[in-house]
Amino acid sequence: MDTNAKPIANPSVVLREEFDDCAVLFDPDTGEGYAVNPTGVFCWKRFDGRHTLAEITAELRAACEDAPAEAEQNVQEFSEELAGKGLIGFEVQ
Amino acid sequence: MKVMSTPRSLELAITNRCNLRCSYCYHFGSADDVDRDLPTAEWLQFFAELKECAVLDVTLAGGEPFLREDLRELVAGIVANRMRFSFLSNGTLITDELAAFLRNTGRCQGVQVSIDGEAPAVHDAARGRGSFDRAIAGLKALQRNGLPALVRVTIHKHNVHHLAKIARLLLEEYELPSFGTNAASYLGLCRLNANDLQLNAAERSLAMETLLELDRKYPGRIQATAGPLAEARMWLEMERARQTNAPATSGQGCLASCGGVFNKMAVRADGVMTPCGQLPHIELGRINRDSLRDVWQHHPELQRLRDRQAIPLTEFAYCRGCEYVAWCRGNCPALAYTLTGDDANPSPDACLKRFLEDGGRLPSER
Repeated sequence: MDTNAKPIANPSVVLREEFDDCAVLFDPDTGEGYAVNPTGVFCWKRFDGRHTLAEITAELRAACEDAPAEAEQNVQEFSEELAGKGLIGFEVQ
Repeated sequence: MKVMSTPRSLELAITNRCNLRCSYCYHFGSADDVDRDLPTAEWLQFFAELKECAVLDVTLAGGEPFLREDLRELVAGIVANRMRFSFLSNGTLITDELAAFLRNTGRCQGVQVSIDGEAPAVHDAARGRGSFDRAIAGLKALQRNGLPALVRVTIHKHNVHHLAKIARLLLEEYELPSFGTNAASYLGLCRLNANDLQLNAAERSLAMETLLELDRKYPGRIQATAGPLAEARMWLEMERARQTNAPATSGQGCLASCGGVFNKMAVRADGVMTPCGQLPHIELGRINRDSLRDVWQHHPELQRLRDRQAIPLTEFAYCRGCEYVAWCRGNCPALAYTLTGDDANPSPDACLKRFLEDGGRLPSER
């Protein structure tokens, strides 16, 4: 995936931060929920159509002292997975 | 147990009105029976707060929720605020047009319809003449329109001998995937009609035996979270544990049966927030005046009900010496309240020791 892609959250989807370490992305149209960890929440909050994947990864690295080397790949895979479920789309350039 | 930041679900009594007066209704004759309904704007304002709290779904109840003249506006407000919804209904007001409207929202999880008999004489005994035919018409409208119809059978003296016929009607003739069961419980109007409605130990034994047999005939298609089938499963498990002296699992031996206060809340028709639709006397605040998040996280009554889970059953004189105490969870706090005046007691209603003392017998295991 192009790291300049700008993910944008499906506006119908609910981010429910149930506990400090556990959140759910809930699609009310299907009734399905997906558990996400705090890193996923960090990314989700930047899926606004303005941040590129590269920028999100950079912000993640800045926010976390121990971000792994494969963070960029993880962010891409996460966004691809969410796109596959219809939870996000990508801003048309 | 950790508490979520906000409740996941709410049960909303959107009206205090009902077109029936079922003799075991938990709503009427309780603190849930209030003298007014909130205007549309109040509910819509509250739905916006539910969105901010990331509440996932609401159950619309009453009274009879389909009596609300502004129902479509309320449903539109729920959908606009990114929630799903379901209904608790007597089924008598459901038309094809209404069912199609609900289906077309794409957010309706289902409509629970009460069916208590296989024929008018049985169903109408507790619900009033003509209600069976209208409830069945509502059920068929839901089915025709592809909306999940969740039938609930409330078991009482007048239908306990009809359970096999009811199961055949619902599962074979109407081809429902499943139905749920409970029992007329000592709540609301049932408290006035308990002798005429509630099962005695012998009838409860019969209901348990019959429902387990039906469960074997229709595997996985009869559900219960309360009432004779749930009790049969729970009590047989407790008896097995007693015989094998099995180690207690989490919550056993304490007042831990109800987890509702950890994930949901309720609102009365007058806008008062309560812990549960069956604990309507515990007033936690008022919608659009008090913050739902704040009430959920900090109200001392909710904290008290959550802390109830840690109260050991051995603190209660009646439970001391009970050979099942290590595996018991104390049962429903709402029934503990109506039967003993204190929700911090175990409920005598689903007490295995009491049931056996009253001459009840556990169903046979096959």
